[in-house]
Amino acid sequence: MAAPARRPSVSSSAGMPAALDRLRRELCAAEAATGLTSAGGAALALGIPAIDGVLGGGLSCGALHEIVAAHETETAAATGFALALAARRAFPSCRGLARIAEKNVLWIAEDLSLAENGAPYGPGLDGAGIAPERLITVAAGRGRDVLWAMEEALRCRAVGVVIGEMRSRGIDQVMTRRLALAAAAGDTLGLLLRTTPHDEPSAAATRWIIGAAPSFLRSQGGDERAQGLGPPRLAARLVRNRRGHLGAWIVEWNSVEQRFELTTHSEPVAGAAFDRPHRAAVA
Amino acid sequence: MVFGKRGNLDLLVAVDAGAEQLGLATGLALAQARAMHPTLTAVPEDQAADARLLDAMADWCQRYTPLLATDPPDGILLDIGGCAHLFGGEEKLRDDLLARVTGFGFSARAAIAASIGAASAAARFGAAAATATDHERDLLAPLPLAALRLSSDTVAALARVGLKRIGDILDLPRAPLAARFGAELLRMLDRALAREHEPLTPRLPVAPYIAEKNFHEPIAREADVLATVERLAMRLKTALAARGDGARRLELALFRTDGAVKRIAAGTSRPVRDPQAIRALFVERLAALGDEIDPGFGFDLARLSVLTAEPCPDEQIGFGGHEDQAEIDRLVDRLSARLGRRRVSRLIAHDSHIPEFAAAALPAQATARAELGWEAFRRFRIQAELSPRPLRFLARPEPIEDVFALVPDGPPVRFRWRRALHEVIAVEGPERIEGAWWNEEGGPARDYFRVEDKAGLRFWLFRAGLYRDMARGQPPPRWFLHGMYA
Repeated sequence: MAAPARRPSVSSSAGMPAALDRLRRELCAAEAATGLTSAGGAALALGIPAIDGVLGGGLSCGALHEIVAAHETETAAATGFALALAARRAFPSCRGLARIAEKNVLWIAEDLSLAENGAPYGPGLDGAGIAPERLITVAAGRGRDVLWAMEEALRCRAVGVVIGEMRSRGIDQVMTRRLALAAAAGDTLGLLLRTTPHDEPSAAATRWIIGAAPSFLRSQGGDERAQGLGPPRLAARLVRNRRGHLGAWIVEWNSVEQRFELTTHSEPVAGAAFDRPHRAAVA
Repeated sequence: MVFGKRGNLDLLVAVDAGAEQLGLATGLALAQARAMHPTLTAVPEDQAADARLLDAMADWCQRYTPLLATDPPDGILLDIGGCAHLFGGEEKLRDDLLARVTGFGFSARAAIAASIGAASAAARFGAAAATATDHERDLLAPLPLAALRLSSDTVAALARVGLKRIGDILDLPRAPLAARFGAELLRMLDRALAREHEPLTPRLPVAPYIAEKNFHEPIAREADVLATVERLAMRLKTALAARGDGARRLELALFRTDGAVKRIAAGTSRPVRDPQAIRALFVERLAALGDEIDPGFGFDLARLSVLTAEPCPDEQIGFGGHEDQAEIDRLVDRLSARLGRRRVSRLIAHDSHIPEFAAAALPAQATARAELGWEAFRRFRIQAELSPRPLRFLARPEPIEDVFALVPDGPPVRFRWRRALHEVIAVEGPERIEGAWWNEEGGPARDYFRVEDKAGLRFWLFRAGLYRDMARGQPPPRWFLHGMYA
């Protein structure tokens, strides 16, 4: 297949929405013909209109998405993002309804990454909305085994989400394309979690760079250290998107309601001024 | 010739035919042998290698019967009851075995008898290739007493009173014999004469279901091996279905033409009977082993055995969730077969307040139907208002340095982990978790803190021990990092 056609940079304000729509439909049809995206695949909405709009309704489910940690120390944040997506996809009924439609989640990780970044911890996962009884963890010795196991798992219809965690670099495009095809075949959400930043070409539908973000406003004064920790807050940058524009947001994960929330102005522009010792002078 | 230390002497323990002709025999001192024939090559013995060779031979002998045991240092016992007819009778089986073993370059002797004692005596001391079923007495009578597997002391004591052959003691009154030489002598005699039953302890457990196939022309290609597996599985299926069983652990034994035996085991997470499923397991196993399965000049016998069988209810197909479960089981089996059983796991909750013991990963194949305990954990978490636990957890807490806290037992303001300095801007805690005080290795109490640093990274830290305990002679507290939050 030819590399996915780069979208012409036509801005929607050009006043020809009909033509844009037509182009978009054609592109979708062309993509579906390659088998890389399931044509009628459901979209997994993140719950934030600004992001879902860019994604064309949400992340496509039968596809591969790449989640890259901004820095290796921020792997936990990237893990949190992947698990939040997994929770929304595999346990949609957690939000109040009986648990019937639950699917299994597979977390396949390289030994090296588990040693470096820590292993999945059941009690913590349970708190984050992933039912540990629905999770199967696989530890693979080599990156090659991670990719093989991912492909096998993606093809399995009883699996809802496959998270593949890789520390090593050098996944070629053929491999990611295989994974994308497997995800489309099994209608499974494939999440390739890379713990080290990279810019290798890939056949994934989207690529996110996830970093941690401070969880509360620093401008409120008083003893900040006494305020406790807020809900997990992530700096999400969408750096590759087959369906639309790119963007950067700061999102907060609400584990009780299992949805993302957009936090505007996490770092107020003038925030630092309030921290000056002579506050009166500022006022 | 081979020599080894017996007591303080270097004695010959094995001699080949050439040396035998020169008048050398086992038991001769090495120095004496060298004096007689200075040009001889003498090799020190290697008992471990001998044992390995014997084990390999025993493995190979499994082609005749699954019921066999090694009889160290140099014998193998085969229970051929019920399987001799497969080879055209007892003599044919023995001749086939001897021909093959001789073909490998060994010299061997074999005897068939109704008891282990008689067979071992005849093979070691009798005429070559003896067969004695039902007339052990005649066979044993001319043999030396050592053939009865007696200790050398007993044999020497018997020799002193002129008893040298088994025939000499066959008709003697039993009571005086037992009184003078011990009950062991009579027991061995009875065992040899099949008056007393001697059980054979098989080397390997005997599989409840076995199917095998002989090849006139050895097979070497992977596709042929897999086709054979499927055909054998087809045969096993009938046997399994007849008893309502399914296989949980399977073993494929491939007998190479040069005598080596390759064993490939595979497990499943639920009892299976389906030949296709069994074949799929071995596809992964063979792929994982890769070049380790060296077919050499080919395999001439393949045997598929079910090591563990479990009742397998006849599946009801197409009833909602069952299909999903079956799919997952198949996936787990495939992954386990390729990567290893212990690498594919499910998390289970343990009833422990110590974080590293609160959860464990168990092989997913073993826990397909198990109660994992998370319901109970969830109830506990809500009831006890447990503070959030980290997503990622370090199995071994990592020490952190340069910890600075405003008050000795308070939360840290900054700390250094993996050489990077983290400045803490938000803290929750402490949550005190007592060590296992009932256990000597329990360790001190820990104070856990959830902290967030300037960049927004969230960690689970703990301090092991308290500063005030230092006054009582305890070591100073240490700080560790135990997990990461999103």
